Amino acid sequence: MFRPRRQTSRRCLGLSESHAELAALRQAFGASSDELTGAEAVLAPRDAGEASAALRWASRSGARVLVRGGGTHQGLGYPLDPDLVISTERLGSIVAWEPEDLTLVVEAGAPVSRVEAMLAERGQTAVMPERPGSATIGGVVSAGVSGFRRRRYGPTRDRMLEVTLVTGDGRLVTGGGRVVKNVSGYDLPRLAVGAFGSLGLVVSVCLKLWPIGESLATVTLDDPDRADLLSRPLAVLDLNGQVTAYLGGTPGEVDEQSRLCGGERRDGLVWPDDPAGTYRWSLRVPPKHTRYASGRVPNGWDRLALLGVGEIRLASASIEGHRDLRAWAEGIGGALVMVDGPDEAYADLDPWGTPPASVEIQRRLIAAFDPARVINPGRLPGRL
Amino acid sequence: MSLAEDLRQLLGADRVLDGSLQRYLYGKDSGVARGNPDLVVTPRTTEEVAAVVRTAKRHGVPIVPRGAGTGLAGGAVPIEGGVVLSTTLMNEIHEIDPVARTAWVGPGVINLDLSNATRANGLHFAPDPSSQSACTIGGNVANNSGGPHCLAEGSTVNHILAIEVVLEDGSVIELGGIAPDPPGLDLRGLLVGSEGTLGIVTKALVKLTPNPPEVRTLLIAFDSVNAAAATVSGVIAAGVVPAALEMMDQRMVMAVENWLHLGLPTEAAALLLAEVTGTADAVDSEASLIAGEAAARGALSVRIASSEAERALLWKGRKSAFGAVAQAAPDYYLHDTVVPRTRLVETMAEVYRIAERHDLQMLNVFHAGDGNLHPLIAFDSEAPGMLDRVHAAAEELVQLCIRQGGALSGEHGIGLEKRDLMPLSFDQVSLDAQARIKDVFDPEGLMNPSKVLPEGARCFDLAARPPGGAWV
Repeated sequence: MFRPRRQTSRRCLGLSESHAELAALRQAFGASSDELTGAEAVLAPRDAGEASAALRWASRSGARVLVRGGGTHQGLGYPLDPDLVISTERLGSIVAWEPEDLTLVVEAGAPVSRVEAMLAERGQTAVMPERPGSATIGGVVSAGVSGFRRRRYGPTRDRMLEVTLVTGDGRLVTGGGRVVKNVSGYDLPRLAVGAFGSLGLVVSVCLKLWPIGESLATVTLDDPDRADLLSRPLAVLDLNGQVTAYLGGTPGEVDEQSRLCGGERRDGLVWPDDPAGTYRWSLRVPPKHTRYASGRVPNGWDRLALLGVGEIRLASASIEGHRDLRAWAEGIGGALVMVDGPDEAYADLDPWGTPPASVEIQRRLIAAFDPARVINPGRLPGRL
Repeated sequence: MSLAEDLRQLLGADRVLDGSLQRYLYGKDSGVARGNPDLVVTPRTTEEVAAVVRTAKRHGVPIVPRGAGTGLAGGAVPIEGGVVLSTTLMNEIHEIDPVARTAWVGPGVINLDLSNATRANGLHFAPDPSSQSACTIGGNVANNSGGPHCLAEGSTVNHILAIEVVLEDGSVIELGGIAPDPPGLDLRGLLVGSEGTLGIVTKALVKLTPNPPEVRTLLIAFDSVNAAAATVSGVIAAGVVPAALEMMDQRMVMAVENWLHLGLPTEAAALLLAEVTGTADAVDSEASLIAGEAAARGALSVRIASSEAERALLWKGRKSAFGAVAQAAPDYYLHDTVVPRTRLVETMAEVYRIAERHDLQMLNVFHAGDGNLHPLIAFDSEAPGMLDRVHAAAEELVQLCIRQGGALSGEHGIGLEKRDLMPLSFDQVSLDAQARIKDVFDPEGLMNPSKVLPEGARCFDLAARPPGGAWV
């Protein structure tokens, strides 16, 4: 659930004219002020046009906008003290589902759990995070997070066929298309993944779907090296040293692969929760170092490693040891990202770590989409 | 000093080509458009590319990167003159890491050479365009190239982890990374498929894919294109995404058979070439599902390759198709559009009607599994009025696919060929957004200018247009 990041006094926007416009928007949208963030208003647009009106106002007034879906990824990035919250709760429609083309067009505010349950009835999946909580499609896309099954199907980015977004200054922009293969123009759909709305508020996306295997199994591995024998497992997870393979495919294939694992088999996919703790982290390393990286994690931190992927989800009671771990990870081309932590933690540590070399290009690119820098300003690496 | 003198000082006389024949040869790619470069350079290193870019910029001259020139959309055509920068000497495989399943390669490495170099490790580079024995990795990155096996494995962008890029000011930057999800915007993904308009890729870290334990390749004959197209839709709807699912129509099969004598069934109206990979059980059950879908639509025959040699033979038929067209006519125009897989049957019927209406000879061989059509018009450009008919049919084909909810290009790119058709897919504001991306990377407009984005893409351009009837 959404959790307040910082309780600060409301900023005065200073422009009475803006206030009048905001009042009109609030009335139009039936909005209220936001107790969670202290923002002056929460607007929940019903369509791209309303989102555009809200963002045009924000750009004119210099208001800082936090975009909120299910609120599950609000701990990622530098904190924001917003003047306005735009909620995607009313943008929850399934626009078009073509089961026979394996594509889905869905609005940003649709909850992942609802979408995946619907798709599963026809044996399909958007390969969204498996334990989504209240996360929305738009939130997963904007935060750039992926499910465990990325080992087989690639990250969320690889599902993006089309994006429709409203830029910071209210332009309605579409990129990509509703087909599974497309090289028409620059790849905006992929670029929107992990952009935290800096290119625009994501209104809807078209996703490439995958068939769910006829047979599914969750099998423990007594010897972790046996994971290397598996052919295209959905995921191989190492939860504090216990290695489990997730298999999908034809019944004979899954039986054969299960035997290779050699451990206890359960039918279906029994996914673990992410490690819970005061601080949550994502350690990203070259995939071949995933198992070794687990050994670099400070004692007492809970860890869930996505073997073969290079992502290790961590939880800790304190930040002690994070500097060494980050320095090591960055030294081998990786990163240590704080996924969530207490509000005061953000004053002491950098959630992203060293910004990428391309930070200046990123700044200019964002300025092209959000010239007044209103959507999640300062949230990205390099405080972009 | 002149541009040529400056560049000779950088690269030496032998790697700056400006003879009239050389400039002619580098004036076009494998498409139909032609330009005329001022000169051609062949750098060997990233530093040399950066120096060439800086020099061209100082002289205010455009720069057009080029791999093997197998592109079909005019992406490597120097339409505004300037410098053609050929990457073919940057063909070193710098490092293969068989454990990580990655390789750092130069942009001039030939696609198939990379797969051959990693075969001993049981690995290959998944994107496999028909031109894979000639096209370069740099060209694949620029066009986000596909190929038959992109159906299950995805296009080039899914296989590029990081790139080293020379930007318009000659600076060098690495984008992406070997670890997953580098924080910040995914500029790697943006550069892939940008057709050399945002920067020049000088090195790529590619993902290598393990060779599958088992492969089954099926050749299925049908008495109608409709039945073959319906089978494709049926297979996808049944929840199977094969490694490849390719279609060839009768004319194309006859052209191939006439040339290579592979024993393909020329009496069939259409052939499907389907390939499934994975464990023994998976390939057997998926192969039988595909055969079942085909049988339900009246397939004439199903042949399953019984050996690696037979499999190679079937693929040879598919990958030689474009070469085989030479027997039908001296020229061909190969299209590349995409439709949703649910619309294959009706779209193909209309594709043939368009050829008929314009009295053109059409052959089809395409990536049916992902709805990526390649209608090919064989013609003689010397025939009077022929080019006009070919172009008219081309435009109708694109319009048809867009009407069906499809896209302008699946894997060849926009380049020059489809630049002016972009407004069919994108409204003015969306095109303007793309133009703003271009301007961020290339404010002076010297990086492969006049490609991808039509004139008037910027909303500013629209506003700047004089009203009708105005004196200018």
